[in-house]
Amino acid sequence: MTEHKIETPKERQNRHKAMEAAAVLEKIKHDFKEPPKAMEYFYDLFERVHCKHEALHGDKAKVGTMCIQVPSEIIHALDAVPLRLCNGFYTDDEIGSDLLPSKSCPLVKATVGQFASNNFSDKPDIVISPTTCDQKAKSGAIIENMGFEVYDMEFPRTKESHESREYWRRSVRKFTKDLSQNLNTKLSKKKLKDAIKKVGYAQHLYHKLNILRKNNNSPILGKDMFLVTNAFFFDKIDNWVEAVEALANECEQRVKDEISVASKRSPRIVYTGSPPIFPNLKIPLLIELSDAIIVADETCSSNRMFNDMVSVDEWFVNDMVDSIADRYLKGCTCPIFTKNEDRKRRILDLVRDYKADGVIYQAFAGCQVYEMEQKSVLEAMEKAGVPILYLETDYSPSHLGQLTTRIEAFVESLKNRKRRQ
Amino acid sequence: MKKIRDFINNADIRRFRFWLQLLFFVIFIYGGYFAINLGNSIPVFSCGYDKAVGGMCYFLPLQHQLARPLDVLFSVASISVLIGFVTFLLWFIIFNKAWCGYACPLGTMQDWITGLRKKMGIRYSTYTQPQFDKLKKIKYIMLALVILAPMGVGMGLLGGEWRTAFCEICPGRMITPLFVGDVSQWSLDFSTKTAMILTTLGLIFTGLFLIGSFFKKRFFCFFCPMSAMHYIFSDGALLKLKKEGDKCTKCGDCYNVCDMQIKDIADDVKSTNILRDDCIFCMKCVAACPEDDALHVDILNMKLFTSTKGGFAKRMEMDRLEKKND
Ligand code: SF4
Ligand code: SF4
Ligand code: SF4
Ligand code: SF4
Ligand code: SF4
Repeated sequence: MTEHKIETPKERQNRHKAMEAAAVLEKIKHDFKEPPKAMEYFYDLFERVHCKHEALHGDKAKVGTMCIQVPSEIIHALDAVPLRLCNGFYTDDEIGSDLLPSKSCPLVKATVGQFASNNFSDKPDIVISPTTCDQKAKSGAIIENMGFEVYDMEFPRTKESHESREYWRRSVRKFTKDLSQNLNTKLSKKKLKDAIKKVGYAQHLYHKLNILRKNNNSPILGKDMFLVTNAFFFDKIDNWVEAVEALANECEQRVKDEISVASKRSPRIVYTGSPPIFPNLKIPLLIELSDAIIVADETCSSNRMFNDMVSVDEWFVNDMVDSIADRYLKGCTCPIFTKNEDRKRRILDLVRDYKADGVIYQAFAGCQVYEMEQKSVLEAMEKAGVPILYLETDYSPSHLGQLTTRIEAFVESLKNRKRRQ
Repeated sequence: MKKIRDFINNADIRRFRFWLQLLFFVIFIYGGYFAINLGNSIPVFSCGYDKAVGGMCYFLPLQHQLARPLDVLFSVASISVLIGFVTFLLWFIIFNKAWCGYACPLGTMQDWITGLRKKMGIRYSTYTQPQFDKLKKIKYIMLALVILAPMGVGMGLLGGEWRTAFCEICPGRMITPLFVGDVSQWSLDFSTKTAMILTTLGLIFTGLFLIGSFFKKRFFCFFCPMSAMHYIFSDGALLKLKKEGDKCTKCGDCYNVCDMQIKDIADDVKSTNILRDDCIFCMKCVAACPEDDALHVDILNMKLFTSTKGGFAKRMEMDRLEKKND
């Protein structure tokens, strides 16, 4: 006996999102030559969470974060799970489009869209919104109006001055106190120390894996690395750590066996700009389908989450909280800051360190800060003699043809350059 | 070679430093008992009022020498002054300010007081930036006192009790001899008004030294004229604290562990020589830097100790995870 049920809007959305996710996963899994076996964990994880909408965290307290600057160490130490809510779904982007100005950033639209449809497999109990870019800061209030509990976390937009360091330290201290109250959990020295070490270990593992990409025979493609880092947004940290341990070991073996996922001629790319967030891995996939390989990145959905580890001199709560604060502000290369010498230095350092042939810079149409910084980064790269391609993209599945042509042409020119050298 | 290098870069410098400091402490404070004598030109506060000193703080002979009448001071007879100074320079030039971080008994004592505070679970305090900028100048005033007061005596402008004016107010004079059971310095000198004022100040500074370094890491070093004197010559030293700005992410980890609150260590990505006048060359910053080669200690342009990701993770115990079930 078959019963016909009318699909609720939520179910329809979920169906659309599942389709979106499945299509990208399909590509990631099958369009490339042998990914490491340990990647299975991540393919499976994304399928469970984004296609089957499985909840991972049960009834643990969940703290949603709107940006990278919210200290996850503190959230872990308060026995809660941090969930980064930056969103990459076109389905949600379209929902958000009705609520925000048409020229807004697709990432922000998609994030707001998800709240509007109140459609979470793991629903956050409280949302932390750091005042980073204008669009993110303002969408905090919009989300609050939808009935979610939102906590604005003040974040300075210059980072060179000592005042900004002090200001941000105060802000983090306040956040720690307020969140502890909100979750009704006391912060202890031991728990905070453990949390720092745990997150530190995750970072350490990421680096262990990441530096293997410096080899001429790179053991892992950029698209897989993006999945690994994206998983850190929402996965149980213990499971993530275990999976990355296995992956790093396998990749180490691959380097020894000289197994490479790209050919010798494949140009090596450093990726920078607006963060690719699953399933919007459009640009990384296009790059690697054009026979180039992403060997390093400078984005807040990947590398930037794992840089800048916390160092503490005396393991007292205050000292730990201050040290944590510094790591999130001082090393951050987000374009929302007034100046950004640090970002340019970092990209150049990555190019040098990972022996890259060129840089690809993606800015989401509507992400003003990345668009505005484009010129200075281009100039810096030109000065250093590093070829760079600038792309403006959105979440829509159309326009792929034009993007493909530009990326292929760029990759081709890098190949020619490589041949001549 | 690579093995040795990895071993050094992964080393727990805290433990290494603790033992080295202890060794130097014994040499300098008790050296006399073992007939150790490293001379009178030691570039740290290894106090000459200690009867068993194994090598004397350069400031004590310096002040006596400078207090000679001018014509004597600039005559051939004062060749010994020159020799003393050259010896000081030679000592200093090899190790640079690492003398402060690893050898100075007065510095070591402050670290022990810090250790005591840590054991008691009390947090350290820091200066705010404006306080820092103002206070750091004091050490140059102190240095002026070291040099000008005895010269004033030599020129007949000041009374004889100004001869070792700085020593009178230096906490080293009262504290160091205690370690060999000598309490004779713990008294006020009532012979003249100046002497009384100076010895009273000495008592006050000693009290400040003990209390200050309990709450503030390396409290006294911040005001130390020896540190100011070092800085004048540190550019020529063989041991160097170097930074490669390109590799630095400005994360601030080094600043966080720096006892001397040196901001440049994290924020300056232009200088290659990153040794600042307050620095005690403890190398804690290098140990706390998570970026490969961003900070390193060089001797004659050879990397002796450099920051590495692996070394960082090891020292912070982030290279492994104690498995717990939750
Ligand atoms: S670019 Fe900056 S503001 Fe935007 S999501 Fe990333 S960290 Fe946040
Ligand atoms: S009193 Fe101070 S300056 Fe004088 S010899 Fe002793 S340590 Fe050196
Ligand atoms: S600065 Fe500190 S360690 Fe250096 S000589 Fe002075 S008291 Fe000793
Ligand atoms: S710890 Fe290293 S990377 Fe961080 S600011 Fe200091 S020198 Fe730079
Ligand atoms: S800058 Fe480095 S070596 Fe100098 S005092 Fe600070 S931590 Fe020690």
